[in-house]
Amino acid sequence: MTLNKTMKLLLAGVAVTLSTSAAMAQTNLRVFVSSQHRPDVWRKAFDMYEAKNPNVKVTIETGGNTSEAQAQYLNTVMTAKDSSLDVMILDVIRPAQYAAAGWTVPFNDVLGDANAAMKRYLPAYAEANTVDGKVVALPAFADAMFLYYRKDLLEKHGVQPPQTWDELAAAAKKVTAAEKDANLQGLSFQGKAIEGAVCTFLLPYWSMGKQLVSDGKLSFDKDAAVKSLKLWKDFVDQGVAKKNIAEVATDDTRKEFQAGNVLFAVNWSYAWGQFQGGESAVKDKVGVVKLPAVQGGQPASCLGGWEWGVSAYSNNKTEAQKLVQYLSSPETSEFMAINASLLPQFPDVYTDQDVTKAVPWFASARPVVETAKARPVTPRYNEVSDIIRTTVNAVLAGQSTPEEGATQMEGRLRRVLR
Amino acid sequence: MATASETTLVRAHNESATKWWTRFLDPSERTLAVLLLLPTALLLSLIIVYPVCRLVWTSFQNLSLTSGAPATFAGIENYALMLEDPVFWETTWNTVLITLITVPGALLVGMALALMANLPFKRKWPVRLSLLIPWALPLAFAGLIFAWFFHSEYGVVNDVLRRLGFEGVIWFNSAKWAFAAICLTIIWKTSSFMALIILAGLQTIPRSLYEAAEVDGAGRLRQFFEITLPLLKPSIVVALIFRTITALQTFDIPFTMTRGGPGTSTATLAMYIHQNTVDFLDLGYGSALAVVMFALSMGVTAVYLRMIRAKG
Repeated sequence: MTLNKTMKLLLAGVAVTLSTSAAMAQTNLRVFVSSQHRPDVWRKAFDMYEAKNPNVKVTIETGGNTSEAQAQYLNTVMTAKDSSLDVMILDVIRPAQYAAAGWTVPFNDVLGDANAAMKRYLPAYAEANTVDGKVVALPAFADAMFLYYRKDLLEKHGVQPPQTWDELAAAAKKVTAAEKDANLQGLSFQGKAIEGAVCTFLLPYWSMGKQLVSDGKLSFDKDAAVKSLKLWKDFVDQGVAKKNIAEVATDDTRKEFQAGNVLFAVNWSYAWGQFQGGESAVKDKVGVVKLPAVQGGQPASCLGGWEWGVSAYSNNKTEAQKLVQYLSSPETSEFMAINASLLPQFPDVYTDQDVTKAVPWFASARPVVETAKARPVTPRYNEVSDIIRTTVNAVLAGQSTPEEGATQMEGRLRRVLR
Repeated sequence: MATASETTLVRAHNESATKWWTRFLDPSERTLAVLLLLPTALLLSLIIVYPVCRLVWTSFQNLSLTSGAPATFAGIENYALMLEDPVFWETTWNTVLITLITVPGALLVGMALALMANLPFKRKWPVRLSLLIPWALPLAFAGLIFAWFFHSEYGVVNDVLRRLGFEGVIWFNSAKWAFAAICLTIIWKTSSFMALIILAGLQTIPRSLYEAAEVDGAGRLRQFFEITLPLLKPSIVVALIFRTITALQTFDIPFTMTRGGPGTSTATLAMYIHQNTVDFLDLGYGSALAVVMFALSMGVTAVYLRMIRAKG
């Protein structure tokens, strides 16, 4: 073999190795999924993506059981400029904050006409994910709060699902008195100092037609705040809600209702899938309607939902954005609605035949989501949230009166939203 | 100790050296000391002095990641804000209260444990091991375990209370009971550390002192107050310094047990610092709070050090 030939062979060998390694090049994407939103079902959605994109491998990371615990973790990762996470799911209140901190990559370049792309979603989600014209995240699923009730018990005692909170109290008293079951709670809601307690406070407050923030300025209505805090505290004092409601987080409400110990429960849409699951004691005994209103007010729900953001510190931003576009597509939305009862972020999916077959009440859920109110959008939202939820918690624990609570809340909110 | 003539000799030798590098081959004691301390001094300044200076500097800045704006010099604004922040005062007071309750509490329980462990057992290891376990347990674990103990429905504490005929307490629904639960947990967790240090101190006290006291007719109690306690003082002071500083920094146990609730009634200063930096991303204000906590710890350490020096 001549030297020339050897060189040629060697070069050919190198070329072959290089080209095969390029074809084999795998992108590993690490995705943070909130543990309360069915990471097991998201896994199936990722599997379908992997099947179509063999060069991408998706790993799920999950943790924390509340929105704040997850935000705390993600805040730590992002302040450390850690590149280990590529995609993360964010509670609807956070994209604005993450964009302000420069932690997410905008989608404008990959969306083409960003405006048209965002118009496909429910308007509330197009708005929540757009900051100063930049699309900072894409909607993962929609959510709103609903009133779940025990269909079997209401029928047994001839009670209609309540339209107002007063009716709810009366119905709960009637049914629990007749059932004589010490473990049966009339109403379960979120009293622990978690994100859900912010909505707890806002539900009756909004129902009275009041806003917390108008035109970026605090528009706190103290009377309405006192009434709202008092409404919840009265439920505890009257025995409609249990005494230690100040210890109850969102998933506690879900678990206790699922175990058959709750008549009425305020919760998000995700609970439905688990109430109807194999481990549920209340399967097929559950009804769901829009939340009651205060006497003389309009019913109000809290806008929830989660969004997919791509980390600004990711080493695979292009692949990560492609994955998020798939996750935020009508097809994935339909899949998640059917398999995890997560509310669609697209208006049309609500009336899709397969969806209405799997989750019949979604058709009536759409108007609730469409009229649900968004919590104030501000980069300092975490402080606003902390003020509201610690006050709700303190009032429910009997630590301060509704009046004291409202005064403290106003004073502290004024410091943050100047 | 070098004698006077040796020192003169070394100095004379050094002065006679003409080349500078020979100093390294045969350094004077002072150069040697500097050389030997240099790596430690560098390391300490890197991991302690620099971060502390940086912290103090950040505390004078307007640095909030949620504003999206770059940091600007704010003077004493963060400190002025603190003075009128009710949550700052509440969390600081809670921290002081936890220190005032749990430090003496852990000292008393730790002393009792140490005295018991010092009894002439046939097998020493089971006693020592049970002393070590609470100390070896991570703080967050202890917090989570006790949160379950004190749970109003599923907790073992309420179960025992009910069996004894009392009504169960909703521990985390009231500031007072939640505070009591936290203090009990901290005392349980930290008294074994106190006991370990005191036990070490106990074992340095010669038996002959007790034998002599017995011959002189001193009772057990008298022996404790006249021999044990005075000779234990140095160990107690050391244990108190460590315990007080960690008490001022209390974070894990209230964080895992109550998250500061109900309301903010059991939140500590360390938790408030964490909240401002990690949750609110207000690094300027968080740093100012941290500077205050640093000053508090330094103040307490200075007092204890003075106590030791006065005794010494």
